[in-house]
Amino acid sequence: MEYDLTFFTEMLGRTLALWWVLIPSIFLGLIVGAIPGFSAANTIIILLPLTLALEPEIGLTFMVGLYASSRMGAGIPAILVNIPGTAGAAATPLDGYPMTKQGRGQQALSMSFVASIAGGLFTTIIALITLPWLSQVAFYLHSVEMIVIMFFGISLIATIAARDTLKGLIAGFFGLMIGFIGTDVVYETPRGTFGFLELYDKVPLIPALVGLFAISEAFAVIEKQSIVTERGKAAMQEPGWAQTFEGVRIAVSKWWHIIWNSLIGLVIGVVPGAGAAIASFVAYQQSKTYSKTPELYGTGHVEGLIAPESANNGVTSGTLVPLLVIGIPGGATAAIMLVVLQFHGVTVGPDLFITSPELAFGPFTAMAVTYALMILTVLPLARYMSHITVVSTVYMAPIIISFTLVGSFVPRAYLFDMNLALVFGVIGYVARKTGYHVAAILIGVILGPLMETFFLRAMKMSQGDIMVLFSSSIGNTLWVFLVISLALPYVMNLRGGKREKAAAHDPYG
Amino acid sequence: MADDAEAQEKKRVSIGSELIIPVAALAFTVYYFYTIWDAPWTAQVAAFIVGSVLILLVVLILIKSFRQLSRGDGEINFDNLIEPRSYIPKRLTLLGLTIAYIFVVPWMGFTITTFLFLSLAMLVLSDFTKKRLILSLSATLSLGGYLLFIVAFKTRFPAGPFENLMNGLF
Repeated sequence: MEYDLTFFTEMLGRTLALWWVLIPSIFLGLIVGAIPGFSAANTIIILLPLTLALEPEIGLTFMVGLYASSRMGAGIPAILVNIPGTAGAAATPLDGYPMTKQGRGQQALSMSFVASIAGGLFTTIIALITLPWLSQVAFYLHSVEMIVIMFFGISLIATIAARDTLKGLIAGFFGLMIGFIGTDVVYETPRGTFGFLELYDKVPLIPALVGLFAISEAFAVIEKQSIVTERGKAAMQEPGWAQTFEGVRIAVSKWWHIIWNSLIGLVIGVVPGAGAAIASFVAYQQSKTYSKTPELYGTGHVEGLIAPESANNGVTSGTLVPLLVIGIPGGATAAIMLVVLQFHGVTVGPDLFITSPELAFGPFTAMAVTYALMILTVLPLARYMSHITVVSTVYMAPIIISFTLVGSFVPRAYLFDMNLALVFGVIGYVARKTGYHVAAILIGVILGPLMETFFLRAMKMSQGDIMVLFSSSIGNTLWVFLVISLALPYVMNLRGGKREKAAAHDPYG
Repeated sequence: MADDAEAQEKKRVSIGSELIIPVAALAFTVYYFYTIWDAPWTAQVAAFIVGSVLILLVVLILIKSFRQLSRGDGEINFDNLIEPRSYIPKRLTLLGLTIAYIFVVPWMGFTITTFLFLSLAMLVLSDFTKKRLILSLSATLSLGGYLLFIVAFKTRFPAGPFENLMNGLF
């Protein structure tokens, strides 16, 4: 079969005909993405009886629509109330929430929507074109490279999320240690579990996310009448669509930023297990490093919002690449899609592109159409959604606590998880008040189990030789980048300090 | 002059609260090492490496804090954790209600417990004003949550008398 323009146009037409499946899946995805604890993966599991009953092509289209829109939905509470819907949106509040506090919530939402839609659409098209080559990325990244990437992730967050790098590193490594809780994968020895059986299977991520972000935020916001500052409230009094259009204009003017960061997301998404959380922080850090105004990051800077949002939507199409090309799902949602396809007797892998090209390319065209439909359906909502931020914290804080606490119960149905969310809430509250960024702790918790798995694999292959960590050229290059990224802020500060001193001594200055 | 002294006072770092996270991290790492001391190497290797780096980082922040103390840039207190002090009663009541919520929800179920929690927490935070609005808002939200999560999404939220009654009726 030839994959020419006629074929792709035909595929696009087939997918457009499924608009009646895509539109409900977009709205459902937005809702479940915005509620911590309700990931796209959970929802697809809940709706399995429906997706299994549908034709594989329709079922797949529904799942892809829900997956793509939930990624964007997770950014909404991250921007408006500083609570990311999923870990993939953990970098979004760094600049999104300060914008909301300044009364630019509507603008921030529309920017985030444009970055997500444009980034997602662009990477989907790129993924479609470069499918055979992209699938090779996973083959070059082995255990050693993955370990360095994870250390890289932690150090990036330490330098960007916390004002004090030392505090950021402590938060990140503390998170990693928490992530190591549970039994070891070989002998099942319980470690750091405090005797709780519920922790044998690692620390569940949703209670950690809920506690660190939602519960701690709820306790912190009661000290103010509203999330938005007085000036911000005045800015929000201006009615109309002006802020939405302004947000769209600003985001479009940063088109190169969107393209570049979404490509970072696409490449990271192709690596199984890497995921949106790493991609969004990597994108944020490189955006800050190459920015002309790095000092504005963290204060409500446009590029600081666009970078993670375009990257985490780039991941969405990336995770489908290894699933369809080599049969390895790139994430939880992709894994569930694999189960549904296998239920229908579809074997994924290179043969799929010959036997059922409509199923192999279908998810990508479905994703492209989903993003296109979101321009019409989601963008207008920014104006109305942003008004949630003027609700008094008297009402907001209890609502956040009750609904997210129960949300932490949902994935495993253990009451223990609600207690765990409260414990993480206390840790998060102390961290917020004392300058240890909660995002660094969360990323540590996420990466801990993954890092340990790769560590064990590397050590087993090298028969216990720790120098294996410096045995690959890609790994060594990444180590160099890691050291540079940690040293660069100090060098810049030092140079800045010297320049200031020189200026102070300059009699003509 | 008095203003300068005041500004200097304000600039001082609250060392006590800033060390809570490092001390907790250190304590947890020591406990973790204790649990893996006799374990096979597969259970130890990653934690020993990451834990050692963490201990080193904690030592660095302790040295930094000690230098701040000796220079007079910091003092041992927990001010930035508990301030503003006027909110301490509300914060503690909210914490108490949250703990109560977790303990009561398995018996009373999602809908009733959420209604009680929302009403009480909102009343406390609003200094017991706008009672009618708070009660109707709490009722709407808890019933809305029941319809959305339990009825529509079929989520496994804790069930109690209300959910069981509804199950029996419909």
